[in-house]
Amino acid sequence: MITRTIRERGSYLLFLIPGALLLIAVVLVPFLMNVGISFTRWQGVGDPQWTGLDNYTRLFGDSTFWSSFRHNLALVVAMAILPTAAGLVIAAALFDVIGKRFGPRAASVLRACVYLPQVLPVAVAGIVWSWILAPRGALNEFLGLVGLGSLGQNWLGDPDVALWSVMGVLLWIQLGYPVVIFMAGLQRADPSLHEAAELDGASWWGRFWHVTVPQIRPEVFVVLLTCTIAALKVFGPIYVLTRGGPGGATNVPSYFSFQNFFEKTQVGYGAAIATVLTVLILVLTAVFLKVQNRGERA
Amino acid sequence: MTGIWGRSGRVLVITLAAALAIAGCGSGSGDGGPRTLKLWHYEGPDSAMGIAWAEAIKQFESAHPGVKVAFEEKGFEQIQKTAPMVLNSKDAPDVLEYNKGNATAGLLSRQGLLTDLSEEVTKRGWDKQLGQGIQTTARYDERGVMGAGKWFGVPNYAEYVMAFYNKDMFAQQGIAVPTTIDELTAAMDKFVAAGITPLAVGGAEYPAHQIMYQLALSKANKDWVDRYQRYTGTVDFHDQAWTYGATTFADWVKKGYVSKDSAGVKAEDMGVSFMQGKNPIMITGTWWYGRLAAGIKNFQWGSFLWPGLTAGSAGNMWVVPQGSKNKDLAYDFIATTMSPQIQDKLRDAGGVPLADSGSPAASPQIKELTENFKTLSAQDRLAFYPDWPAPGYYDVQVSAVQKLITGTATPQQVLDELAKPYQENLANVGK
Amino acid sequence: MKRHAVLWSLIVLAVAMLAPFVIVVLNALKTPAQYASDGPLALPTDITFQGLADFWNRVDFGQKLFNSLVISGSVAVLAVVVSVLNAYALGIGRIRGRLWILIAFLVANTLPQEAMVYPLYFLAKETGLYDTQLSVIIIFTIIQAAFGTYLLTSTYAEFPHELIEAARIDGANKWQVLVRIVVPVSRPTLGVLFVFSFIWTWNEFFLPLVLLISNDTQTVPVALGVLQGQRLMDATMTSASALLGVIPAIVFFLIFQRTLTRGITAGAVK
Repeated sequence: MITRTIRERGSYLLFLIPGALLLIAVVLVPFLMNVGISFTRWQGVGDPQWTGLDNYTRLFGDSTFWSSFRHNLALVVAMAILPTAAGLVIAAALFDVIGKRFGPRAASVLRACVYLPQVLPVAVAGIVWSWILAPRGALNEFLGLVGLGSLGQNWLGDPDVALWSVMGVLLWIQLGYPVVIFMAGLQRADPSLHEAAELDGASWWGRFWHVTVPQIRPEVFVVLLTCTIAALKVFGPIYVLTRGGPGGATNVPSYFSFQNFFEKTQVGYGAAIATVLTVLILVLTAVFLKVQNRGERA
Repeated sequence: MTGIWGRSGRVLVITLAAALAIAGCGSGSGDGGPRTLKLWHYEGPDSAMGIAWAEAIKQFESAHPGVKVAFEEKGFEQIQKTAPMVLNSKDAPDVLEYNKGNATAGLLSRQGLLTDLSEEVTKRGWDKQLGQGIQTTARYDERGVMGAGKWFGVPNYAEYVMAFYNKDMFAQQGIAVPTTIDELTAAMDKFVAAGITPLAVGGAEYPAHQIMYQLALSKANKDWVDRYQRYTGTVDFHDQAWTYGATTFADWVKKGYVSKDSAGVKAEDMGVSFMQGKNPIMITGTWWYGRLAAGIKNFQWGSFLWPGLTAGSAGNMWVVPQGSKNKDLAYDFIATTMSPQIQDKLRDAGGVPLADSGSPAASPQIKELTENFKTLSAQDRLAFYPDWPAPGYYDVQVSAVQKLITGTATPQQVLDELAKPYQENLANVGK
Repeated sequence: MKRHAVLWSLIVLAVAMLAPFVIVVLNALKTPAQYASDGPLALPTDITFQGLADFWNRVDFGQKLFNSLVISGSVAVLAVVVSVLNAYALGIGRIRGRLWILIAFLVANTLPQEAMVYPLYFLAKETGLYDTQLSVIIIFTIIQAAFGTYLLTSTYAEFPHELIEAARIDGANKWQVLVRIVVPVSRPTLGVLFVFSFIWTWNEFFLPLVLLISNDTQTVPVALGVLQGQRLMDATMTSASALLGVIPAIVFFLIFQRTLTRGITAGAVK
């Protein structure tokens, strides 16, 4: 049995060929070119000038870059941890409670509503949220209406509050993604285990934690990792909401990199930032995948 | 079991193949026979430039039978981000609108991507039509710095910063139109006393840092501007002008002229707030004119000039890519846009024209707009824009002035923040 | 009634998620004059579609919708195919070094797009694919397939081997096992992948902005960018055209919800 599987493994490689070709041409070659650019000084047009490790030396001493990572950590909470946790609960609620007691139609409608923010282009979402979060915008007006006027803030203009506001918007955008993936995963799950637990008298929460979640373990890992990567790379919402402000309070490495690439036309430096960011994320990914792997069947 | 090769699978594969075949074709470029002038710009069809240039296309086509103008409307952002790439490829147009400044036109001219227009300019007399201050942004030297050197662009219009004001609200408070900064301060005091925030400010984008620049300019002179914008001498960010600008702006926030909430307000929302009558004064540029004329229905409004030097310059200009195959047609088209009829059309649609045909303006407000510009140009009071000297300086300026609004930095610290990227860029100019 | 409490809290959530959309719709229907006088949060008094019709003609929105459809549709199909092939080898075939191969694929997701722009521009120019939709399709196929490979590999790693063994014993080769067993059983996940790839590609702005220069190749988000001027923007028009651009993505999602819904019923009925 074992020898048969080892001999077979070689031919599985054939299935990887289309993906591998695309990967090399579209991703790996550009990545290497990017690394090459990071050793030069270039303005995006004309000839690059070789400068060796200058960009990297500068980057490691650049406090803007490293302090912007702190903001990223907050965004990881908003874009990965909170959506995954909330997504699990919502998906389970929609699947188990709503789907079963109120019909699949109700569950579908609610799921579509939760997913809708993912469909809206980030640029438009940014405009709408800046209307809502404006000093005399919808949120402050609403708070005033329900008597909570004193909680009103300058959501995007106060450096102490701006990062929280951005986190809120990111949560709004991200929530639909885990919910849809988890609900698809729940369909793979074996309902008999659930019924058995119910018959055993387990509470909904107990069933959720000990039966539901382990069954969609692969999806949970995938969502956590991809959301974390997305959080570390987040650019669009920052660009449209605050442009890294006010006064740099919401700056993130990816926005800093973009500024160097396109606004300051310091492409070599931008390439160095992107390379360091990518390597950091890849290291994180490798660690994460090892952990995920350990739980799988050998 | 049909698997993926079932009927629906086959339909999908055929559709996909067809789609890929279509996708593999680039944009068609019909050629041979009649000539085509490929023209790009990014002004909206309702804007003054959009209207004038649509007319220019019509006139050009009727004056050149057998030539078709292939006009494509682009987005500002697309041109900003991709111009160097497009102009380096065979897809470049024959003539396009492009931004003025060292970081944009200057950079491209240095790389040889733009045609040198000097000969055409002298031949057609455009240099006589455009004033000194206007020419500055059209000419670039070998380092890509504006001010002197070969002509690489031809502007059609100008922009400048002044103050729009709500006549009704001014009348209510019994305030006359201010002609000096002291009078402006006194007027704003009256509004604050009446519980109204006088200035509509967009701290999240360009308006706030332009106001600070205006304040600095009031203590500066032309030489100061040249040193800052064209690197003709040393720039001290703690000199009298800059210090006055930063401390006065901080002062204005403290006195309530500028709302502390405005750090997160976008330019769009600033304009809307002025148009709704929430704030009586808006210090910003003539590019808002058309919007205000169309949008304000509930009150009388007007504008007054900023005393002394003011931010402003020639507008975006026409450039001819080096790779253009129809340069003669491109030059003819530019000439059409500089003709009296088109310049008048631009003026009457709410833009600031560069050539004066002498015909009467369409409305008193337009007349005021144009006359004010003539004064500025004749007195050489245009001082360009604060974010021009270094690429990416815009974000630095916004961020620094935001700190003044929220009070998280002192004026001295803010000026230090502005100094650093400027000096860094200075070391790299022309390299 | 606990289950009603659950229902109501989910309804509140749904409303909160939809509220910004409602604001977009309000502004899409307003006239620019009313937007100027009453601000973005007021209800529209005169509903108008003229602006929308003007914009449609101005950017030839029909063509942009078609372009977006071709690109997103192709990417969705191709990305799923490539992901299935990769995940089959990695998750079920369990070839050696699969962890590192997976990481290599994930580089596609971790590399920031701005870092890819100049190299991709250069490669596209050299291969003659600059300013063609094919270049965008190829690029996004691998980007979406990277995510797809990861998702499917993770789910295939826990694929019930008994089904595969049974088919092998019946004499099926690797390809037949993939097509007859693995794909049908993983259909819900494939459906999700399909929808995500479509919607993510539909909303992509930056790489199409750089690679699609001529107006007749451009996609919807790039066309919407026309409304954002250097200093001024057109808010009512942006809202209206954004809605137009979002509708196909929503329709797509709703169509594919049905595959997912079937699963919910199965779960309920056992």
